[in-house]
Amino acid sequence: MLRKLVAVAGVSLALASAVFAQEKTGTRPGFSLEAGSAIIVLVRPEISVGEQSTGGLFEPNADWTAQAREQIAAALQARQGALGNTVQPHDEGAGGDAGVAVQYARLFGSLAQSVMEYQFFPGNRLSTKKRRNSFDWSLGADIKKTFGNTGANYALFVYTHDEYGSAGRKMLQAAGLIASAFGVPVGVTSGVHHGYAGLVDLATGDLVWLNADLAMGGDVRTPEGASRRVQQLLEGFPGRSAPGAAGGVGR
Amino acid sequence: MKFRSALLLFAVTAAPALANSLIPAQPVAGIARSSFAARPEGEWNRLSMRPGKRVETWTLDGPLLNSVRFFGGVLPGEPLLREADKKRAPLPKVQADMLITDVPALLENTYRAQQSVSRMEIEAQEPVRIGGAAAVRFAYRFVRHETDVERRGEAVGAIKGGKLYLVTFEAPALHFFEKDLPKFRQLVATLTF
Amino acid sequence: MAAMLAGKAVAAPLPSALPPYSAAYEPRTVDERGLWMQVDEAEKQLRASNLLIADPTLGAHVRRVLCRTVGEDRCGSVRLYLLELPGFNAAMMPNGAMLVHSGLLLRTRSEAELGAVLGHEFAHFELRHSLAGFARARSATDAIAWISVLGAASGANVGASVQLLAGAFFTFSRALEKQADLLGLQYLRASPYPAGAASEVWAHLLQEQAATALERKYKPNRGRAAGFFDSHPAPADRADYLRAAAGDDPGDAAVAGHRDGMAMVRLPLLMAQVKTGDFGGTAYLIDALAAQSGWTAELLFARAELYRQRGNPRDLATAAQLYADAIRAGPAPPEAHRGLGLALLRSGDAAGGRVALAEYLRLKPDAGDARLIASLVPEDKP
Repeated sequence: MLRKLVAVAGVSLALASAVFAQEKTGTRPGFSLEAGSAIIVLVRPEISVGEQSTGGLFEPNADWTAQAREQIAAALQARQGALGNTVQPHDEGAGGDAGVAVQYARLFGSLAQSVMEYQFFPGNRLSTKKRRNSFDWSLGADIKKTFGNTGANYALFVYTHDEYGSAGRKMLQAAGLIASAFGVPVGVTSGVHHGYAGLVDLATGDLVWLNADLAMGGDVRTPEGASRRVQQLLEGFPGRSAPGAAGGVGR
Repeated sequence: MKFRSALLLFAVTAAPALANSLIPAQPVAGIARSSFAARPEGEWNRLSMRPGKRVETWTLDGPLLNSVRFFGGVLPGEPLLREADKKRAPLPKVQADMLITDVPALLENTYRAQQSVSRMEIEAQEPVRIGGAAAVRFAYRFVRHETDVERRGEAVGAIKGGKLYLVTFEAPALHFFEKDLPKFRQLVATLTF
Repeated sequence: MAAMLAGKAVAAPLPSALPPYSAAYEPRTVDERGLWMQVDEAEKQLRASNLLIADPTLGAHVRRVLCRTVGEDRCGSVRLYLLELPGFNAAMMPNGAMLVHSGLLLRTRSEAELGAVLGHEFAHFELRHSLAGFARARSATDAIAWISVLGAASGANVGASVQLLAGAFFTFSRALEKQADLLGLQYLRASPYPAGAASEVWAHLLQEQAATALERKYKPNRGRAAGFFDSHPAPADRADYLRAAAGDDPGDAAVAGHRDGMAMVRLPLLMAQVKTGDFGGTAYLIDALAAQSGWTAELLFARAELYRQRGNPRDLATAAQLYADAIRAGPAPPEAHRGLGLALLRSGDAAGGRVALAEYLRLKPDAGDARLIASLVPEDKP
């Protein structure tokens, strides 16, 4: 009986995800990256990893986050190295105005949020952004002064947030599914795994690429999981097979 | 129940009740359901969400990055934006005898009464004529508490027939304000009300 | 101790000096480290906040008050952040970062009152309260989630039990707040400030809230019997037990010291408060400041702006009078002439209004609104 109920619930979830795609990539039309040509400065990634308590509270876990940060940095290095590009972490202390770097990081957050809400995912999209081959977003050329002084020609922004459902949360989820099967809508999500990665051309400030994923996999606390996560974050990263002039939003 | 809920999802995504709409590059009238009219030279987007009864919002890249708001004919006794709690958290109201100098103050006091901004400063204020009427153009900057991003604004406002007409443009101080200001000024140059 | 907690006015013997303080504390448990990591990241953001007040004189003043309150050993652990935010608030993060809102600086009437609030926040830090609160929050929300699911499945009305549990969580927090209040009193007793100042802070806040409610015509919260979801004890109850526990503690509240420390920022903070549109509460605050220093040009100007902003016909007449008083008391900011001119114009005195506006332009020819004001003043005729 239980298995049948769970199977039934599983079907409705599958239908739901087919209707509402969870991941999207955007590329600036005409942009292509020759492998081996990029010197990428990695702005301090926003990484938070923790547990989701039974009651839905996010409990940050310092060890997991620190591990994830290390693994993601290593995986990024490996992946870009394979493409022949160089990745350097942004030195927050080095010369100039550390405050402006934070302002840009916050602004990038607003930019990424806007891309996701007003272009990528249905619900509140803007007409001018819904067109094929349209992907026109920028932070302005002045960004070069803040991130370009070590010779980098691109800046990579990464954000990933993971809440692993605790055992209590997973039990609650199962109980919720059972209740749902009896006709009482009780949706209990377990786990939150979303993130985005974006590449900015420092010469122009243009957002040349953004990949957003609202439901990622892989356990970022392990090397394999972090490697997989980086793979997902960088899915569609321009360069391996040049996408050509089309650009726009895919998947 | 399971299939019903799936269908509901289809309904929501396929035919949203209130969608954002396109403002093409051509004359547009009846902005904010008022006598506001303009002739945009480029395209804009109109947001379906209204923060007030007489407000219409246009944007290019989304309101976090650029936002033009038309306040169309606000009457004496009415606030600029919707009040969360009329009794305990009232917003300042348009007053019948307000002077042109009270227009920028009304905007600032509205934001401050909402407790949503700090460091707001009205900078230059100048007399201009909009659509043949005496108006004020003013520049300002502020920080929104929730995002901690510094924003700049430019606006024009006038009192006509006892009602307040105001158009504001706001964007992050970093890059976006300067980028989109010319487009806002172009709108204002063609504005009538 | 129990008697004190019960709020009875028993002169229990309090230690004359505070126990030794060891600053070195590293987070140990998994939860603690997670929380510290999060607040460390939050502090990084704070350092680059657009709301930070960088004024070194004000920063030094607040730090001096903190150190006089809790002692040099303790205040060395604190990194102070002053934020331009209009409300009455201060908070302390478990890693030693203390946030102070500018609204708190405006409302405290002496160094002792400011010290009382800062000491309370430091007490949370010394007692390691954040973690206890977090752990409690987690288990309470866990239980609430279970009740909701099971209740829904069984069709039972879950309302009552959710509320009961929620109440338990928040009562526990109120107990922590009271602990911090009482440790805060110990700091004050050991300091040069009078412990009675702590109770005064809450009494004033209640009066301010009553003034706001009166002008807006709603019944104020009587300040007793904290609302069900309140995480702090009710202000009136707090004023009471703090007064009782303070007993007879002598000291110099340093009213003048606080006034001097705030001198450069008082008018800008007051103007921000005026613009929030809370006529009753702001009038109360301005009156309280005037009771200490007398009616200075600055306070008369702020009061005038308050009336002109509300803008009823009688208000405009009052405002004009107050601007004139401010100018007479001197030195008043040039904006006093501006305010006078605009109040007169709106009252129908065009001639008087233009004279005042012309004086504003003479005093401040490069004002941001000079051209706008000039458009209200006709050209000088030969």
